[in-house]
This record gives sequence, C-alpha cells and structure tokens, in this order.
Amino acid sequence: MTTARRRLFFLALGFSVLLAGGAMTPALVAQAPAQEPPAQGGFDFPEEEEEAPTWAEDIRAQAVDIAIVAGFSVLAFVSFFKKSVRLKYITLVAAVLVLGVYKSLLISIVNVFGLMGGNLPIFRYNLAWYLLAAITAVSTVLWGRVYCGRICAFGAFTQLVDAILPDRWRVNIPRSMERRASWIKYGILAGVVTYFLVTKNPLIYPYVEPFWMFGLHLRTPVLLTMLGTLLITTVFVRNAYCRFLCPLGAFLGIVSNLTVFRIKRWSECSTCRICEKTCEWGAIRGPKIVMTECVRCDDCERLYADEKKCPHHLILIRKADILARRAAQGRA
Amino acid sequence: MKRLAIVLSLLAATVALTAGAQNQTDARLKRLFPAATTFSPKGGDPPHVKAYNGDTLLGYAFWTTELLPLERGYGGPIAILLGMDTKGILSGLVIIEHHEPYGDFSIDPPAFAAQFKGKDVRDPFKLGEDIDAVSRATITMSSAVRTIRNSSRRMARSYLTPPASPSR
Repeated sequence: MTTARRRLFFLALGFSVLLAGGAMTPALVAQAPAQEPPAQGGFDFPEEEEEAPTWAEDIRAQAVDIAIVAGFSVLAFVSFFKKSVRLKYITLVAAVLVLGVYKSLLISIVNVFGLMGGNLPIFRYNLAWYLLAAITAVSTVLWGRVYCGRICAFGAFTQLVDAILPDRWRVNIPRSMERRASWIKYGILAGVVTYFLVTKNPLIYPYVEPFWMFGLHLRTPVLLTMLGTLLITTVFVRNAYCRFLCPLGAFLGIVSNLTVFRIKRWSECSTCRICEKTCEWGAIRGPKIVMTECVRCDDCERLYADEKKCPHHLILIRKADILARRAAQGRA
Repeated sequence: MKRLAIVLSLLAATVALTAGAQNQTDARLKRLFPAATTFSPKGGDPPHVKAYNGDTLLGYAFWTTELLPLERGYGGPIAILLGMDTKGILSGLVIIEHHEPYGDFSIDPPAFAAQFKGKDVRDPFKLGEDIDAVSRATITMSSAVRTIRNSSRRMARSYLTPPASPSR
C-alpha cells in the first residue's frame, strides 16, 4: 500500500468509527430525559416538579470539574506550543496529581468499548469527561498522540519516573526488537476488542490497563503480579507500557495516522541521526517520523530549533559564512 | 447415544443454572424484605415483584435497569435491585451488575448500599449532601444515585397512594 492510499484507508476507518459512535449516542441522549408517566397513583412530590434540573443547574454542579479539565488543558497545550521543558514537567506533575490521583479523569479502553456498544457516559451529566474526550480526539487528529505524551496520568507517571531514575539503570532495547515490540499493543487492542465484541463484557480492562490497579479492591494475585512486573519493567525500560502495551495508545495511534500538523523534517534529516538517537519513544526511523509511535514529546523539535546542534542550521550558517567571505574577497 | 447424553447434560445444566439464578434472586429479595413470606412473580408496568407477609403487602422490589434502561455510568448501565415499602421508604438495595472501573471503591462497598436503607423517595438524593460523594468516581456515583432516585420515584408515582397529610 502506498502512503497516500494507507492514509485514505485510515481516514475512512476513523470516520466510520466516529459516525458509528455519533449515530448511536444522540439517539440515546435524545431519549435520556425519560418521559415520566403522569402521576397515576397520585403520589405527590412537591419537590419533583421544581427539581427537574435545568441545563444551567447541571452545568453549575459540574463547574469545578469542567474548570479543572479546561485549566489543565490550557497548561498542557501552552507547554506543547512553547516547547518548554519546565512547563512540560509541571504539566506531567499536574496530570499525575490532579487528573490521576484527585479526579481519576481519563480516557480508557472502556470508552473504546463504549464507542462500539453505544455505552458512553451520558453527555449532560458528564460534561468534564466529554470535554477531555473532545480535546483528546481533536488533538490526536491535529497533532498526534498528545494525549499519551502529556495528559494521560499513567504516561505522565512513567515519564516522571524516567526523569528521576538514573540513566544508567536503563536497558536500551535494540532498535529492531523495539520496532517489533511496538506492534504488541495493536495485538492487545485487537484482542480485547474482539473479546468485548464476542462476550459483550468489558470486564477485561483491569488486565490491560494498569491505572485501575491504584487504590483498588480488585486485588487478585494475578493482577497484583501483573502490576508488579510492569512497574519493575518500567524502572529498566523507558515508558514500557505506553510504547509496547497500551491498547488505548494503539487506538489513538491508528487515529494519529490522520495527523494534520506533522513534525517538520529538513532534507538533512535523511542522513543525520541526532534526533533518531534522542527520541525516547522509538518514533524516528531514518528520515521518517512514525506518527503512530510519536507522542509529541518535543525532544526532536527542540533539536531542530537548536542552531548549535541541528546540521540544517550549521550548514546554512557555514554557507552564509563562505558566501560572505567570497563576497569580501571579490570586493578586495 | 452419545448425542443424547450431550443433549441431556446440556438440558440439565440449563435447568440447574436457571434454578440457581432463581435461588439467587430469591435470596436477594429476602435481603430486601426479611419479613416477607412470599413473593409474587415479576410483572406489571413498570415491572416489579411484590413482597407479602401472609396477605399483607410489604412493598415492591424492582430492577433499575428495567425502569431506566437508558441510564449509564462510565462503563454502561448499573443494574440495581431496589426494595421500597408501601410508604415510599427504601428498604434496601442490592447491586446486581455493573462494569464500572472504579466501582470497587464507590458502589461496591456495603456502605454505599447501607446509606439508602430507610431513605424516603421524597429525599433530595444529592451527591455530597444527603449521599456521600466519592472523589475519583464521580461518573459512577452520580449515575448510580440518579438511577436509584428516579426509578424509585417512578415506582412510587405508579403504585403508591399518597400519604394522608402531604407535609410530613
């Protein structure tokens, strides 16, 4: 398949998923304010009539949550557009503490199941979650897996672990193996989606998503062993879960084939390997950036902008120098 | 012969499972109405089971997902069996089935069900006010409380006679 054709295929795939979800949800939402039958037994509720909550009341009740999501998103995207390292780490800490520990607001494989079965949370009562979901969907189409890189609390947690632990503990996986391992998550996504479609039971999620395990009563020995193994692996292998295992990341990765605003590449990138070596996500392969693996961490983009490191600028400066010297000689 | 044995064992398994499910339902109904001696078969619209002690009607048991099939939490509908006496007081509830990821510290603990026992359907049922809120499980909790409040009120409107004096 050519790249253009592949992109078209994913575009069609993405749209059909969105259409299917869109077609199901409004039908359900429209009926949601259940038509209450008229009082038959005459049981009177003086409060009932005046209590039918208006939109304004529902929004007011959720104002704090909506403000939290909005505020966090502003922080995340300011850090993204400014390419600031400091703001990025502030974002990651906020993601862990506010979205993770305090609110547990997140997008999960459960929501992918919901999209397929028309079982998403009710819009009117979950505005904050829908805001987060909309930001995730739109940013994935526009820039790629920004959600994975700085909104997901577990991804933020492993990135912070990565920043704190000493570099020499890291095991560097050979590139060829890394490439193959990055396909595992698509296998997991296909597996759990098949499981869900066959059994209609979403209860597979604790086995593929580790964040449900924090603060859980669902502590079976199997799940605890899995979580322990994963956390120990994370100490030695950078962001192991995000890169190789996360089914939601795989889903967003499929969507990110659509990415509109891609990372710029210079012609020098076909020979230079600086960014490829710097990328902690294994997303750069020669001159190409693999959008499905890229989480928009900014590392390579900071390098492009660095006039002392990026050959593109070094060559330009050199050329300008030579031209200036020639001009000076010609005048002399 | 072999085929017959397979068919028979399948049949036996179905019967055993159905009987098991019925026993489970009976046990749950008994938990909602410990004083009940008999339960009517499920029927009516909205569908419900009546609990009797001898000839006296003790109350109604009903499944929230049958009254409000469109209500959903984070991972789909939360099925709750609710008991309500003839005066509109909740006699208890049993969580039947749900797929809420954070259900284990929000709606699964006995403390969640316990706070609804003895509640009047005319109570406000507001999270953080007369119902304890659980941070990190807002979607689950609000959906569960909504479904309990709305389905029991709907039952009350359909089947209960109003109290003698409207002001309690």
